[in-house]
Amino acid sequence: MTAHQTGSGGIDRRRLLARAALGGATIVGATALGGIDADAAFAAQQPSLDPAISKSEFVEGRITAISGSVLEVAGSYGDRSRVQMTNATSVWKVRPTTAKVIEVGDGLYARGVKMPDGTVAADAVWVNIVNIHTTIRGIEKQRLHLAHGSHEITGNVIGDTSAAYAGRAPTSDLSRLRIGQSAQVLGAWRPSDNSVDVVRISVGH
Amino acid sequence: MLSTTSSLAPVALAVLLGWTGALKLFGSGAARQAPKTALARMLSSSERAVLVLRATGLAELLLAAGLLAAPRSPLPGAATALLGACFLGYLARARVIAPESSCGCTANDSAPVTWRAFARAGLVLAGGAAAATASAAWWTTVGERPAASAAVLAAGGVLLTALSADLERWWLLPLRRTRMRLFGHPLAGGTAGGKQVPVAATVQLLENSLAWQAASPVVRSGLLDHWDEAGWRFLLYSGLYVEEDGEARPVSVVFALDATASRDTAGAPAARVSVVDADTGEPVGVDLAAVRPRDALPVAG
Repeated sequence: MTAHQTGSGGIDRRRLLARAALGGATIVGATALGGIDADAAFAAQQPSLDPAISKSEFVEGRITAISGSVLEVAGSYGDRSRVQMTNATSVWKVRPTTAKVIEVGDGLYARGVKMPDGTVAADAVWVNIVNIHTTIRGIEKQRLHLAHGSHEITGNVIGDTSAAYAGRAPTSDLSRLRIGQSAQVLGAWRPSDNSVDVVRISVGH
Repeated sequence: MLSTTSSLAPVALAVLLGWTGALKLFGSGAARQAPKTALARMLSSSERAVLVLRATGLAELLLAAGLLAAPRSPLPGAATALLGACFLGYLARARVIAPESSCGCTANDSAPVTWRAFARAGLVLAGGAAAATASAAWWTTVGERPAASAAVLAAGGVLLTALSADLERWWLLPLRRTRMRLFGHPLAGGTAGGKQVPVAATVQLLENSLAWQAASPVVRSGLLDHWDEAGWRFLLYSGLYVEEDGEARPVSVVFALDATASRDTAGAPAARVSVVDADTGEPVGVDLAAVRPRDALPVAG
């Protein structure tokens, strides 16, 4: 799931952990700065759990260039920032993944710590993440037609799209979606065709 | 056929202009939508934009009346073509200076300027030109060729409806609903991931389990990793275990739950938990049974 869990070493470790588990809520932050799941991108800034870090920094914008492990980011308000990726940076792009999938042109939210040179060392980066209120206007096998205000949005149904119906556990059963319903969509924007990969669609809440 | 179309163009145009003109002139939407239109941006004033919208609406209504009442005079047709050309110019300008703004075409929709607005303005221009050159009055054509006239008018109606974004809710959504009723729900088979329980559902189940209550004092992270094996779903967290002598050890907390269970499935699925040393992988002797289940919070009333 995370960058440091992949590879054959990760699989061996998984076996070991699986054996251990079979032999045998409030979630606090995964890092000193907060959670790393998709919802954490929209959470209110929380105080740092690490006494050495006084304040977490938040960066948003479009990636204009990638040089090595540094992302050049142009903010929506004309500001520019540099985001330093580290081995410990968790990356979300549709799902938890690695920094390799980040491309120039992607949008991002990054949370980290400001270094003396102004660069933000990121502990979590959410790429192209969107969380929008929509109305379902059409349902097809591969996509949903969504309206966000006056904007038409195509929502791509992907392998791990899940639905959350009011009062029920999240499910991969999307057959209870109806045209005309209001839906909150958590997903990843695709810059190439301006559509959104739907990760979670919540209705009836 | 061409002469039928050109002599019936005034009718189709009159319906379109009558509808959009009435909305602009009498509709309450004009005042409400005006600030969002590209027109307001061009005139730098919402009040002026409302005035221009109302004036355009009046002109459209006059043209609609002229097209219906005097189809043999080229004047209403030519004026309509001029209006269509003005619309095209306005849309092109709006697209450049305020692409996200509404076009204000019907004073009722807030949709941004799209190709449909251009196509509709183009039709007004072409229809106006056709009406100006019509050889016969529309009532003569309807009287002589009623079937062909009905077909042309119906086709014109379908075309103009398809080009009007704010009419979609009247035909497109019911059409899609009917299709779903006839052919079934397109997503009834589940997503490509099949009938699998999403990880979020397993995490939710875990957080409601006794295993979580017992181990949560040790857990110090969000979900770090998850995988399925032999019907189990494993969820990995990191944690910190403080031993009796006060020494803290970084540990991995791994839970195993039924991969097919969620909060909605019947029964109380088993949840297993183990705490292992983060570096050596040695099991850590955490006495989870000693952890007292959390008391339920008192509920008012």
